[in-house]
Amino acid sequence: MNMSKLWNRIKEAVHDLAYIWAEEMKMCIRDEGVLIFFIVVPLAYPLLYSWIYNNEVVRDVPVAVVDLSHSAESREFIRRVDASADTKVAFYCNNIAEAKDLMGRQKVNGVMFFPDDFGVRLNRGESSSVSVYCDMSLMLTYKAIYMTAMTVSSEMNSGIQIQGSSIMATTERDEQITTKPLDFEEVPMFNSTQGYGNSILPGVLVLIIQQTLLLGIGLSAGTSREENRFSKLSEMRTHQNGLFRIVGGKALCYFMIYSVMTSYLLLIVPRIFGFTTIATAADLIGLLLPFLLACIFFGMFLSCLIRYRENVMLIVVFTSLPFLFLSGISWPLSNIPPFWQGVSWLFPGTFGIRGFLTLSSMGGTLGDIEIPYIALWIQTGVYFLATCISYNIQIKASQEKV
Amino acid sequence: MLRKIINIAGRECRQMYRNPIYLFCMLLLPVFVMVFFTTLMQEGQPQQLPIGIVDQDNTSTTRKLVKNLDAFQSTAIVGHYPSPNDARMAMQRGEIYAFLYIPKGTTAGMMTSTQPRVSFYYNAVVMVAGSTTMKDLKTICTLGSAGVGKTKLEMLGKTEDEIMTFLQPIKVDLHMLNNPWANYNVYLSASLVPGLLMLFIFLITPYSIGTELKFGHSKEWMEMAGNNPLIAIAGKMLPQTLVHMLVFYGFEFYIYHILQFPHPGGVIPILLLGWLAVLSAQAFGIFCFGLMPSLRMSMSVCSLWAMLSFSLAGATFPVSAMDPFIQGVAWLFPLRHYYQCYQVCIFNGFGLHYAWIHWVCLMCFLILPALVLRNIRRAMLEYEYIP
Repeated sequence: MNMSKLWNRIKEAVHDLAYIWAEEMKMCIRDEGVLIFFIVVPLAYPLLYSWIYNNEVVRDVPVAVVDLSHSAESREFIRRVDASADTKVAFYCNNIAEAKDLMGRQKVNGVMFFPDDFGVRLNRGESSSVSVYCDMSLMLTYKAIYMTAMTVSSEMNSGIQIQGSSIMATTERDEQITTKPLDFEEVPMFNSTQGYGNSILPGVLVLIIQQTLLLGIGLSAGTSREENRFSKLSEMRTHQNGLFRIVGGKALCYFMIYSVMTSYLLLIVPRIFGFTTIATAADLIGLLLPFLLACIFFGMFLSCLIRYRENVMLIVVFTSLPFLFLSGISWPLSNIPPFWQGVSWLFPGTFGIRGFLTLSSMGGTLGDIEIPYIALWIQTGVYFLATCISYNIQIKASQEKV
Repeated sequence: MLRKIINIAGRECRQMYRNPIYLFCMLLLPVFVMVFFTTLMQEGQPQQLPIGIVDQDNTSTTRKLVKNLDAFQSTAIVGHYPSPNDARMAMQRGEIYAFLYIPKGTTAGMMTSTQPRVSFYYNAVVMVAGSTTMKDLKTICTLGSAGVGKTKLEMLGKTEDEIMTFLQPIKVDLHMLNNPWANYNVYLSASLVPGLLMLFIFLITPYSIGTELKFGHSKEWMEMAGNNPLIAIAGKMLPQTLVHMLVFYGFEFYIYHILQFPHPGGVIPILLLGWLAVLSAQAFGIFCFGLMPSLRMSMSVCSLWAMLSFSLAGATFPVSAMDPFIQGVAWLFPLRHYYQCYQVCIFNGFGLHYAWIHWVCLMCFLILPALVLRNIRRAMLEYEYIP
C-alpha cells in the first residue's frame, strides 16, 4: 500500500518535471530572442573574439629614430632594433620635432633618440645614453619598445665589456663570465608565447556561458511574465512539492542546452585556436557541474526581478566587463580592493573563470581550486532556494490575478 | 515645429520618470561603472604582488639578494618553498604570481667564476601580474650579476665611475610620455568607462523607441509630431541627450579634474569628444532600430556591437596587430574613433587635425539616422509588436 503510494508520487513527479521541461524547451526554440542568446551568441562570439586576437602577440611595432650621432655604434643599435621581432625602424628623422609629428599621426609608437656625442663617449670609455620615448596609450607597444631597447643595450654592453676587459680575460669563456658572472633564465609559465588571446580568451569563454544564460533565462521569464503564463503553472502548484518540479524542470531544460554549448565553448573552441588546454575530463566536469547549476539558478533568480523582457538586456549586457575584471584576469586578484572582492563572491562567473584558468590554462587539479569549488556549490544551494522562494511569490501573485 | 518638439520632449520626460529602468540605465548604473573601475584600479600600478622564493643555496649572498628583492615596491615575498615543484603548485593555487629559483652552489659558483645560473618563473596567464613581477625579478638578477662584477673590479682598484661605465656603457633613458607611472587606472578607465557609457546609450535609445511600439503608444507619438519622423525623433531624443551629456561630462570632470588623469590636450577636445560620443552612440542606436524595427533585434544587435567595440577600440590589444579584415571592420565602431581621438588629442595633446579622420568618422555616425527615418515612420504607423 505504502509502496504503491510512493511509486505513484514518484511517477507523478517525473511526469510533472518532464512536462515543465518539455514546455520550456518548446518555448526556447520558438522564442527567437532566447534562441539568439542560447545558440547564436555562444556559437559565433568565441569565433569572432578568437579571430580578433588570433595574432596573439604584437610584432614589428613601428619606431622612429633620431640619430644625431651618426656613429657606427648608433647605427648598430638601430640595426639591432630593426632586426628584433617586436620592433621595426619605420622612419629616420632629423630632429625630435619631426619624430613627434609622426607620433601624432600615429605612424610610430615610439621614438629613439641618439645624442650627437653617443659614439664619441663610448669610444672615450665613458657611458652614454639613448633616450627612448614611448606612447603610453598602448601598454603592449610600450612593452615591446622598452623591452627591445633594454635587450639591445644589454647585448651591446656585453660586447663593449668584452673589448674593455680583454686584458683581464684570457679565453672566450673567461670573457663570457666577466660580462655575466651570474647567469639567469626567464621562464614564462603556462603561456609560453605570452599571447594576449591565450591569456584573456579562456576567461571570456567562461563568461560568455554565464552572460548568455542570464540573458536567455531573463528573456524567457520576461515573456512568461508579460503573458502571465504563470497562471498555467498554478495548477501544478496544487500538487505537493510542485514548486520544486517547476524550478527543476526549467533548470533541467537550461542544463541540457548548456551542457552542449559548454562543451563547444570550452572544449572545441580552445582547440580550434590552439589555446592552452591541459585540464583532465574529471576535473573539468567537477568544476563545470556546479558552475552551470549556479549560473542557471542565479539566472532564474535574477529573472524574477525583471518586469519587461527587454529590460534584462539593459541590466545584464554591461555587467560583462565588470565581471571580467572581478575575476582577476586583467587587474591582479591580489590587488582588488576587499570591498570588490566581497562583491565578486556573489557571482558564479568569478569562481568559474578562476577555476577554469587554473584547471585548463595552468594544469591545476580540482584540489587546487578548493575555494572556488566549494563557493560554487554554496552559490548553487543559495540561488536554488532564492529561486524557489521568488517563484513561489510570483505564482501566488499570478493566481490572485486570475 | 519647435512647439511639437517641446511637447514630445515633455512627454518623453514623463515616460522616463514613470519607468524606473531609465533612472537605472541613464544615471545610476553609469555612475556605478565609473566608481567601480576607478576604485578597482586606484593603486595605478599593482603593488606588493605576492611572489615566492626557492632558495636551495641559502647563503648570506643569496639571502641578501632575496632581501633586496623584497624591498621592491611591486613585489612582496610571501613564501619560501623547498623545491621548484612546490612553488609551481603554489602558483597553480594562485598564491603567488612568480618565483625565483636559486639552485644549490650558486654562491660557490660566483666565487669560483663558473657562471652559475638562477631562474625566475612567472605566470604569463595573468598578464599584468606576470609582466610586473617579471620586471622586478629581471632587475634583481641583473643587479646580482652586476654586484659580482663590481666586487671584482673594486678588487682591481677601479674607481666607482669606471665601474659604472664598465657595467653599463649604454644606458637606456626611458620616457613614458604622459603616463610616467604606467598607471593602469589612467590607461584602462579612460577607455573602458566611456565604452560602457556608450553601451548604455546604445541600448536605451532603441529601447525607448521600441517600447513605443510595444506599449502601443507609437501612433500617438507620431501624431504629436504630425507624422514627421524627424520631429518625433528629435523631440524624443532631446531630453535623453541632455541627461547623457550631463553624465558624460560628469565623468570627464571626475577623471580629469578630480582624479587628475593626464589631459595635455586641454578642455576643447574633451568637451567636443564628450558631445560627439553621446550623439554618435544615440545616432547608432536610432540607425539600428530603423534598420530592424523590432525592439528585440535592434537591442540585440546594439548589445553585440557594444561588446565587440571594447576589443575593436584597440585600447588593450592594438588594432594594427589584428587581421587586416578586422582592421577594416574596426572603422564601423564609434568607440574606436572615440579612442583614437582621445589618445591623440587629449592624452597625447596633439592638435585636433592630427586625428581629423576620426573626428570626421564620428560625425558621419550622426548622419546615419537620416537614412532610416522613413523606415521608422512606417514601422511606427504600421507595425505591431512581436515579442
